[in-house]
Amino acid sequence: MTQMAAPPKPATLTREERRRLSEGARAERRFGWLLCAPAVIVMALVAFYPIGYAIYLSLQRYDLRFPQLTHFVGLSNYGVVLSSGVWWHAFAVTVIITVVSVAVELVLGMALAMLLHRTPLWRGLVRTSILIPYGIVTVAAAFSWQFAWTPGVGYLANLLPAGSAPLTSQIQAIAVIILAEIWKTAPFMTLLLLAGLSLVPDELLRAAKVDGASAWQRFTQIMLPLMKPAILVALLFRTLDAFRIFDNIFILTKGNNGTGSVSILGYDNLFTALNLGIGSTISVLIFIAVAIIAFLFIRGFGTAAPGTALERR
Amino acid sequence: MRWWATRGWPSHRDATPCASLPGRRLRSRVAVASSLVLLTAGLAACSSASAANVPVTLNYWSFPDNSGAIQQASSTCSAESGGRYRIVYNKLPSDADGQRQQMVLRLSARDSSMDILGLDVTWEAEFAQAGWIIPWTSANLAAAEKDTLPTMLQTATWKGKLYAVPYNTNTQLLWYRSDLVPTPPATWAQMIADAEQLAREGKPHYIEIQGAQYEGVTVWFNTLVASAGGSVLTANDEHPSLGAPAARTLQIMLQLAHSPAADPSLSVQQEDQNRLAMEGGAAAFELNYPFVYPSMQADQPQIFKHFKWAPYPRVDPGIPSHVTIGGIDLAVSRYSAHPALAQQAILCLRDRANQSLAAIKGGLPPTLMSLYTDPSFIRAFPYAAAIKASLLSASVRPKTPAYQNVSIVISHAVSPPRDINPAATLRQITGGINNALADKGLIP
Amino acid sequence: MTAVAAPAVAAAATTAGPAMPARRKTGWAVANLITVAWTLFPIWWLVALSFKDPATLTDGSFWPIKWSWTNYSGIFHTSAFIRPLINSIGIGLITTAISVLLATMAAYAIARLNFPGKGLLIGMSLLIAMFPQISLVNPMFNIERQIGLFNTWPGLIIPYLAFSLPLAIYTLSAFFREIPWDLEKAAKVDGASQRQIFTDVIAPLAIPGIATTAILVFMFCWNEFLFAISLTSTNAARTAPAAMGFFTGVSQFTFPIGSIAAAAAIITIPIVIFVMIFQRRIVAGLTSGAVKG
Repeated sequence: MTQMAAPPKPATLTREERRRLSEGARAERRFGWLLCAPAVIVMALVAFYPIGYAIYLSLQRYDLRFPQLTHFVGLSNYGVVLSSGVWWHAFAVTVIITVVSVAVELVLGMALAMLLHRTPLWRGLVRTSILIPYGIVTVAAAFSWQFAWTPGVGYLANLLPAGSAPLTSQIQAIAVIILAEIWKTAPFMTLLLLAGLSLVPDELLRAAKVDGASAWQRFTQIMLPLMKPAILVALLFRTLDAFRIFDNIFILTKGNNGTGSVSILGYDNLFTALNLGIGSTISVLIFIAVAIIAFLFIRGFGTAAPGTALERR
Repeated sequence: MRWWATRGWPSHRDATPCASLPGRRLRSRVAVASSLVLLTAGLAACSSASAANVPVTLNYWSFPDNSGAIQQASSTCSAESGGRYRIVYNKLPSDADGQRQQMVLRLSARDSSMDILGLDVTWEAEFAQAGWIIPWTSANLAAAEKDTLPTMLQTATWKGKLYAVPYNTNTQLLWYRSDLVPTPPATWAQMIADAEQLAREGKPHYIEIQGAQYEGVTVWFNTLVASAGGSVLTANDEHPSLGAPAARTLQIMLQLAHSPAADPSLSVQQEDQNRLAMEGGAAAFELNYPFVYPSMQADQPQIFKHFKWAPYPRVDPGIPSHVTIGGIDLAVSRYSAHPALAQQAILCLRDRANQSLAAIKGGLPPTLMSLYTDPSFIRAFPYAAAIKASLLSASVRPKTPAYQNVSIVISHAVSPPRDINPAATLRQITGGINNALADKGLIP
Repeated sequence: MTAVAAPAVAAAATTAGPAMPARRKTGWAVANLITVAWTLFPIWWLVALSFKDPATLTDGSFWPIKWSWTNYSGIFHTSAFIRPLINSIGIGLITTAISVLLATMAAYAIARLNFPGKGLLIGMSLLIAMFPQISLVNPMFNIERQIGLFNTWPGLIIPYLAFSLPLAIYTLSAFFREIPWDLEKAAKVDGASQRQIFTDVIAPLAIPGIATTAILVFMFCWNEFLFAISLTSTNAARTAPAAMGFFTGVSQFTFPIGSIAAAAAIITIPIVIFVMIFQRRIVAGLTSGAVKG
């Protein structure tokens, strides 16, 4: 990656050269701003303004059924949500789904990355087939799983003892949701890990082998440390993504029987209960939770925030 | 079908070719239904051409009716209006929650492309309170109330005003197989005992009822509470009532769930799964709406021979059951540009001819009481008397703008029925309803 | 280190192919087959369902016993699926065009120019990329219902831009960084302005990257569900994934499994095609920014 080096700067400059340079720098700066302006304006309008508005809404009593009763209530919506068992139940379900699916995906993704990295056969075919779950519309895949587990329709439900309906029991339904989530997103994990794997020099591994290191030792002592940045970034991305899980649950169970995530809870409280105030409060709390997760990863595990890598250049 | 005799034709007169089309078609009087479709198509094609006499388009949003009755009524009424309006029937999603969600979101966005709304009987309080539908007054009000089932009018009334006009009603009966059970059970206890006896004999024995976590299970709960002599809310609809009748209800639901009488899929079953299970031959009893009757006739003629109906089983042998009333009320959106025309269109859409059509074609029980004694109607609805009896003693679901929340609280507490813990479940329902009525807290 | 010790082994390992022992080859083949089966079986199940004759839909068989096009002709018979399909394509293309255009400009600036505020911009787009979608749904719904954008194409394009712009900026800036600096320097020496360098030298070279980004953004829009069900209410703007949830069965109470399976199979086709044609690009695009830092 030699092309990353900045253009060399002359050690000494004449006054004329310096003037020209700073003029060039000013032009560059203006051009940079000009190029970024549209994107910045759009992002501010379509993302930051709504988030600010969500915070404002979360401080209101605002029920679409009683528009005339709308008024400022301070933080009381936060009190209502945070003291509600419903919120903490959804939070626990979300955490369980996130932790289990990300953990399984890490192991599975590592195995698949190894396979893709090492396999001497049909590499293109395997890579294509791994990309398909990543690309497929989540809702389509979720319907596939739903039909598969519906008694009387699906091949998977028919493998179970008669009378069981996995999507209606909380624990089994959560397991099915996690399975669907893993199937869909393990490929993403695989690709990120594969990119990390390609940074491990083959010579190093061979040298270790010659020195008598076992396969396990080579994996834990050479590959894992070298892949750490890739692993952490993959974990960060997937954790943030899993925490906002919505599509799979919505199709598979609609959040019934205690399987709702926080996103489902926010959706229901807005679109079924029509309560904009409470709905926005849940939205803001999810936002805060996601921010905390990102912060913990970046500070706690020393993940290079993906952006800092850009800046370093 | 009296309209061609009593009214003149839309004043399209004769000049344009499209105006003469319906007239010629009609004189033949053959295949009235299909000509009506052509007629509306003809009117639609002309409406842009003859600007002087453009019929106003009224968008009618209601449940997806695949029998064709609503479409036919819309066409008939458009034709009858003398060119004043043209009703366009738009289908809402098939599930009630989806229907409500689509309507409330669009109404809160002040969507003017909805004029006539087909509301489930539980939504009127919410829609009226939010100011999304307009009250009925004077002559239209009188026309709407005439001959209409009082319980249905009750569902459409909020704070003393009528906000919607009943279109069809619905109620559950006990359907059973007379080859398995010669005399239908009169009470829940007896029905469960009968089913368990059949199970011991190795015969089809399931009791088919709606146990999934959705509105249907709330209906079951409401019916049993009312039949046990209680109610979900107090008379003024401001506090939970529940009490001993609710405790008894939970006992029955729990008892069924743990009995061999229950379908193993109880906790996922909705109306259609019940129908399929009954048609599949595994069940002996089914608590369901009359749509199962023509369906059985078409799908399983063998079972149909023994497919009989009876009043909904009682909870208390001494108190008649009070089955939860269902159905659709028609309302006019606040954001409609033509509220007066929309009200007239509603009166036509639910008139005697069209209700009869919906009943015979679509299997929907009418809301006009006189139809229940009409011989032609009884021919198509052999169980008309049972339905009418059930309707006259029917119970209404809690009337509150927060109904949706109340219902969710109940359905989440009682489904899956096998997990009911009577005391704790009752506390959960009471607390949840209190929160919902106070518009506090979250919905699960 | 003894890194020099085994060049022969290295050659053997990388070009193993024909020389590999049959047993190891079988092992790899089995592992590959399991992987392919795992990734494809839910898709096959959808396809199988979609081709089942309505009467055999509930036979639970993994292979259609009686093949039929009924489900497909059913969904193309009415506008209930065609219209959402058009919405999906239109909204996806418009969003892709806007965000790729804006992102190309911004990404070039981030990758190649020095200007204050760059860090802020990167931080900003990262922050948005991490936004939980549900956090935007609430305020967006309230804004859109008041200004009349609810249930319209722009009503969906706007939130899609919010999420696709950061994705596009991120992917594109990785591509821009890989274009050799020498070209730019040479152009500068020839007296080209910054603007000319961007439009005449760098942008054409970035076309493969732009294409990749466009595919990723389009796939994002194609896949999106939460906004699609929240900010639409009829087929005027509802996209295909959202519409599938609102299919109605033959009767009021029947669940339209066959139609949903057929619709799901259809919206899967473009993705499979993209993946087969552009797999290398997609992999590069997905991983470029993330790991090499």
